[in-house]
Amino acid sequence: MSEALLDIKDLTIEFGSGSQPLRVVDNISFAVSLGETVGIVGESGSGKSMTALSVLRLVPEAARVSGQIIFEGRDLLKLPKREMPAIRGKEIGMIFQEPMSSLNPLMTIGDQIDEAIRLHEDIPAPERRKRVLALLRLVGMPDPENRLSAYPDQFSGGMRQRVMAAIAMACNPKLLIADEPTTALDVTIQAQVLAMMLDIRARFNSSILLITHDLGVVAEICERVVVMYAGRILEDADARSLFSNARHPYTQGLLRSVPTLNDTRKRLYQIPGSVPPAGTIKAGCPFRPRCSVRMERCAVEMPPLRTYDPGHRVACWATAEAAA
Amino acid sequence: MSVLIDIQGLGKTFSDPSLRLGPRRPPVRAVDQVSFQILRGEALAIVGESGCGKSTLGRLLLQLIEPSEGKVIFEGKDLNKTTKAEMRQLRRKMQMVFQDPFGSLSPRRKVVDIIAEPMDSFGMTKSRKERREKVAELLTLVGLPSSYMDRKPRQFSGGQRQRIGIARAISVDPMFIVADEPVSALDVSIQAQIINLMQDLQEKKGFSFLFIAHDLAVVRHIADRVAVMYLGRIVEMGTKEQIYAAPHHPYTEALLSAAPQPDPTATRDRIILKGDVPSPSNVPSGCAFRTRCPLAADICRDERPSLREIEPHRTVACHFAAPRPISHRRAMA
Amino acid sequence: MTDARLSDFPVDDLISREALADERGLGDVVRQVIFGRISTQVAFFVVVVFIVVAILAPWIAPYDPVRQSILQINKHPSWDHWLGTDQFGRDVLSRMIHGSRNSLIFGLLSPVFAAFFGTILGVSAGYFGGIVDRLISRIVDMLMAFPELLLAILIAAALGGSFWNIVVVLTVAFTPGFARVARASTLAVKQEPYIEAAVAAGVSTPLIIFRHIVPNIAAPIVVLMTLWSASSIRIEATLSFLGIGTQPPNPSWGNIIRDGLSNMFATQWPIVAGGLAITIVVLAISILGDSVRDVLDPETAR
Repeated sequence: MSEALLDIKDLTIEFGSGSQPLRVVDNISFAVSLGETVGIVGESGSGKSMTALSVLRLVPEAARVSGQIIFEGRDLLKLPKREMPAIRGKEIGMIFQEPMSSLNPLMTIGDQIDEAIRLHEDIPAPERRKRVLALLRLVGMPDPENRLSAYPDQFSGGMRQRVMAAIAMACNPKLLIADEPTTALDVTIQAQVLAMMLDIRARFNSSILLITHDLGVVAEICERVVVMYAGRILEDADARSLFSNARHPYTQGLLRSVPTLNDTRKRLYQIPGSVPPAGTIKAGCPFRPRCSVRMERCAVEMPPLRTYDPGHRVACWATAEAAA
Repeated sequence: MSVLIDIQGLGKTFSDPSLRLGPRRPPVRAVDQVSFQILRGEALAIVGESGCGKSTLGRLLLQLIEPSEGKVIFEGKDLNKTTKAEMRQLRRKMQMVFQDPFGSLSPRRKVVDIIAEPMDSFGMTKSRKERREKVAELLTLVGLPSSYMDRKPRQFSGGQRQRIGIARAISVDPMFIVADEPVSALDVSIQAQIINLMQDLQEKKGFSFLFIAHDLAVVRHIADRVAVMYLGRIVEMGTKEQIYAAPHHPYTEALLSAAPQPDPTATRDRIILKGDVPSPSNVPSGCAFRTRCPLAADICRDERPSLREIEPHRTVACHFAAPRPISHRRAMA
Repeated sequence: MTDARLSDFPVDDLISREALADERGLGDVVRQVIFGRISTQVAFFVVVVFIVVAILAPWIAPYDPVRQSILQINKHPSWDHWLGTDQFGRDVLSRMIHGSRNSLIFGLLSPVFAAFFGTILGVSAGYFGGIVDRLISRIVDMLMAFPELLLAILIAAALGGSFWNIVVVLTVAFTPGFARVARASTLAVKQEPYIEAAVAAGVSTPLIIFRHIVPNIAAPIVVLMTLWSASSIRIEATLSFLGIGTQPPNPSWGNIIRDGLSNMFATQWPIVAGGLAITIVVLAISILGDSVRDVLDPETAR
């Protein structure tokens, strides 16, 4: 792949005060190349959403963020706050899980998309209108001319998600961050939205950072997958090798435990135990209590991410031992 | 296997209850002429998207909602004709597991009191000691340490809470359990635990099971039979093998094909349905699915397809019912 | 089966210490209220002191509150009379101490009665809905239309300002407020899945109400109770000030101020003492109410 568009280095996000900080993201590094679709997969408390929000500097005020988030050569964490609005929406677009709460209920969708363009580009109204219509067509909105003056509550969940996507793509951003864009949607509508995202990628050649808990969605549209658990990256690989040759016991377990349409096993494989709440596991590998191949070392020391095949990084002592 | 519950022409219409003047909201047809049977000891799954009436159907069977028409006959007894007191006694035989593991456990009560609540209601606990012993037994059965019984729900994770909810449901040894999307609010790595647990418990206790889900993959492991619902109606029903091997209704086919599969190498000819699910307050004439159906013809607008038995145990409501093997299955085999 | 596999790993490992620290019984709630904030501690201390003083009034008051003395009129504070004397030569401190009985009993009695009746009405309306709800709600609306002070003055003027008359009047006046809050909270709690779970479990309706609804609407009721306690003390003072509350020569904070007002240019101490006592108690009870709400409400609980 080509050079990195987004390069996250040693990102750590903490909440709370001095002696007992709650570390929700713990020293993670990964990159998104130009035109690449990367999925961050994780369960609740994995820190995946916090990671996405930190790219736009939208984490809550109380959080302490350290490390580097380099976007096109600039460290976003070092930029003055007042320069961020110029990047949000223009360079980086975002789609949220709950499209209703992200849209203004008192503005027509035409105006909301128009505003997204007007904020960043100085072009005359008739041309903006053309662009709005083109965007709505792009996201698959039927009959866009008549929908311009409609309000968000007149749309279904899937249609709102299309409007959100139109706003996110209004200024042709280089990176699109989508935080669980299909989680709130029904299966058949989810398929529509995923098809739309593939279409967006094909036409704009944008990079996409997709946050999800659903391995099926990842398999559907991602080229590379970052697996997060309790604030750490456990595995980072291109999608094909992750799904055919997962190396971390967590990823392996997750893949085996997901019910699929065509397996005929009597029982599902299950990972024992519970997902730890964010920041509660302080030392060693966070997956250790649930891991079937854990060793003594895992309790003391977090395994570093080690590269196995090209582009396939895994953080696990047992994997390292088996490979040695 | 004999019939435990016989559902005949069950329907529910919710209408705007307010007394205000001016236009009322149109009535919502949540469940429409649903008939089927649940056998003793079987696991039946009801699958459909939001607004298809699957949760309402589950609550109608337990009489948590009163039906607008039709009958629910439980062990030969018509539930509509029972008195309130009789119905309360019948609840000992039918229990429910809820979708929301956080909301369905009272936050102020201890686990022991939550689990013992159904037993308390039917006077099944003689002494404090016996009550605690029974709860300890149930906790062990659902895979939680019995020492947890004096804790409050908020100290548990979603999966652990769902185990508590399951322990509550099986505490009175019911003959029938409705599980309303019991895993959809849980983390991916926890879902398999709960599905396996319920499957094990059903094998051990032999109760009949109505498992409500929005996802066909989840019920693959637990169901003996599957019913697919769309806008308040059952569109297809059959054994698990029949449904997954070759759905006959185009909606079932679309549901199967739309589910994202964790395998990037699978080749897919996805069927992507156009448009949205119509509002249940404004169901299309004829076949409710026709507005999104790739096969829709004139007859679908004029005539509502009835559920026809096309092979043993298998009913479909479609004018063009025919086997539709799923493409990605072939690719992966 | 699952149990064997689950016991293979340390479950306790996974339950955070924060969650364990969260195990709270009623005793913990009380402790948390009292030891929560400095302001709460002070408020709690103040209320306790006033209650103790009211209970022990006959023993700790230095003089008889109604004994007059022509020789000791309008004295300023001294070692003999800490708060001075009034125009009849009565010891102001003793009158304040005895007066706290009338004021506090008032302050606590009617809100407690009103909370009891209001909760019954509100929960019935909210839980059963339909015709029950409509009937209760209309009655409550009607009562709400009367300002409570006006109602109190009306009844006190008609029936005389005996102690129980005023308690009954204030109870009637406060009940609608409690009924409304109880109804609204019941409607909200009724939507919670655990109520449906209780119905499905076969729990009888009275048990659902007492075990699942009432404990979960207690927080706003308690807060309202403290608010009305403060108002109730104020209203008693107002009625007594207007001459239709506690009847002289019996003291209450209200009529101490009233007597003091007519004699304001001779000595200011009765007004100051009465006014300050009312202000301090009302403030303390309100602060306490806020803390109780914060602790009881799972949303704002620390």
